[in-house]
Amino acid sequence: MMLMPPFELHHPKSIEEACKMASSFMELGESFDWVAGGTDLLPNYKWHINVKKHVISLAKISGTDTISMTEIGAMARLNAITESDDVHPLLSEAAAKVASSLIRNNATLGGNLCVDTRCFWFNQSEDWRRSIDWCHKEDCGTGSDCRVIPNQNTLCVATYQGDLAPSLMVLEGIIHLIGPSGSREIPAEEFFQLDGITRNVLEEGEFVLKVTFPENVSSRVGSYHKLRVRESWDFPEAGISAAWIPGDGSTLRVASTALESIPRLHLEQVAELSGEFNSNQIKSLSEAVMKSIKPVNNTTLPPRYRKAMVKVLAKRSLNQILEASE
Amino acid sequence: MVGEAHVSMIPTTPKKVWSANVNGHAVQALAPSNAILLDVLRDEVGMLGVKRGCDLGTCGCCTVLVNGEPRLSCLCLAGQVEGDEITTVEGLSEGAHLAPIQTCFATHGGSQCGFCTPGFLMAAEALLDSNPEPTREEISCAIDGNLCRCTGYQQIIDSIEAAAEIKRGDAPAPTPASNPHPNPHPEGPDQPSMPPGHAR
Ligand SMILES: Cc1cc2nc3c(=O)[nH]c(=O)nc-3n(C[C@H](O)[C@H](O)[C@H](O)COP(=O)(O)OP(=O)(O)OC[C@H]3O[C@@H](n4cnc5c(N)ncnc54)[C@H](O)[C@@H]3O)c2cc1C
Ligand code: SF4
Ligand code: FES
Ligand code: FES
Repeated sequence: MMLMPPFELHHPKSIEEACKMASSFMELGESFDWVAGGTDLLPNYKWHINVKKHVISLAKISGTDTISMTEIGAMARLNAITESDDVHPLLSEAAAKVASSLIRNNATLGGNLCVDTRCFWFNQSEDWRRSIDWCHKEDCGTGSDCRVIPNQNTLCVATYQGDLAPSLMVLEGIIHLIGPSGSREIPAEEFFQLDGITRNVLEEGEFVLKVTFPENVSSRVGSYHKLRVRESWDFPEAGISAAWIPGDGSTLRVASTALESIPRLHLEQVAELSGEFNSNQIKSLSEAVMKSIKPVNNTTLPPRYRKAMVKVLAKRSLNQILEASE
Repeated sequence: MVGEAHVSMIPTTPKKVWSANVNGHAVQALAPSNAILLDVLRDEVGMLGVKRGCDLGTCGCCTVLVNGEPRLSCLCLAGQVEGDEITTVEGLSEGAHLAPIQTCFATHGGSQCGFCTPGFLMAAEALLDSNPEPTREEISCAIDGNLCRCTGYQQIIDSIEAAAEIKRGDAPAPTPASNPHPNPHPEGPDQPSMPPGHAR
């Protein structure tokens, strides 16, 4: 068994209280983490990874789990998204592919977006990590190098393995953040930052409040395909989402996840189609998407295989949205 | 520098009173604020039917119902479910009489070594409460977070199908394999079977 390291759990009842709590910890110089469902944070804590003195739970803040076609609260449970008839079908399809049905009862949308990046040199117990003298992501004062791409000591290339991000990108999702210094909105594709440690644009004390979609989101047809070792609960080893408004090639969006430190929206590759989208272009677009990503060796499956599978997954997603539009 | 080479377990987080309704009984226990539900249920409430398998969310042995929904107690902070209604496998039977789902696991070979069984029973019970007539496909979706190393799953799905029939009234309740013990909980069902704090 793994012992939970000591920390104090706090339960703000409102958004304002959560922001106040965060800013008072910041003033005191005390470290803290947010917790939503805990399905990502708690395993990491049990492995003694980046443990903080305080944990602020978002679970008791009411009104942050709304679900509708144009707005989903950060605390919406993934099973609620899966079973809801109100959300875009692409989101319920993608949410249903996250982990297992038991985990989805705890897991939330906000937690899925902010899920920590993963690497087989890192998601290990304290003793295991000590035995390899740590790594750059949590170097414990040793200045250790990254084990995946050594001799650079500046970047962690741990893989972002959240399932929902690419679907939010292809549905033009806007992520709403709130914190002690106010609220702001940011398109889903700009939320992530290319570094396995920083992960995203969240400032200290800021958290994800909700995700909104444009009014015409219901006219989009989408599809998500995921590569995983076991269908029952494994993290994605590669994932491709595609969506468009049928008949209008200029609205096509394709995004990938679980291949690099961030999920990516493939705007350039889609722009090469110059606003036209039909079955003749599926092959070249899938190849272009495959060429643009660079997976590294830190998840279960080898990077060459994951890269090759990107083409397959992209073809399946693109074919599916074309067929569904006929 | 990021992280600490050794995360000190001392000082431990101070304990506070934690209350909830476990198997229909109001329960109060002393638990630290970093406690996970699994530890509180086993160590403080004495519900040893809640099993610790992986402690990481991958095996489903620790499944309990929180307000009727199956949740992994190893990935659930006790503080987040304070005041909620919690059902463990001990809460399924009525006195000495096993629930249909339990009898069917016994008669259809759904349980061999039995370690995974409490988790499967809770996931299955939650499924049958919300969907009285599940297909085999729906059953396998509901138990996709539970691992069993013994049965090969087919008997488990058979057991759940059989229990669904009994619960719907489409099949008679089977006679139990052996006569139930007249008094399986001599100290009363809400008494922990081991002193709290000794269950790890
Ligand atoms: C066995 C297993 C299998 C899994 N398989 C998958 C999978 O297939 N696909 C997948 O995508 N994920 C998977 N996960 C990871 C995880 O379950 C999901 O990503 C889940 O959606 C995380 O949500 P949560 O609410 O539990 O997050 P938490 O654990 O509560 O939080 C995760 C991180 O996000 C931060 N956070 C949470 N909410 C907010 C917020 N509102 N604002 C800012 N920061 C926030 C937390 O501080 C923490 O760092 C798996 C996990 C396990 C244990
Ligand atoms: S990518 Fe490198 S720095 Fe990041 S977790 Fe893996 S080994 Fe550590
Ligand atoms: S002990 Fe909770 S899922 Fe394994
Ligand atoms: S019966 Fe032994 S693990 Fe399931």
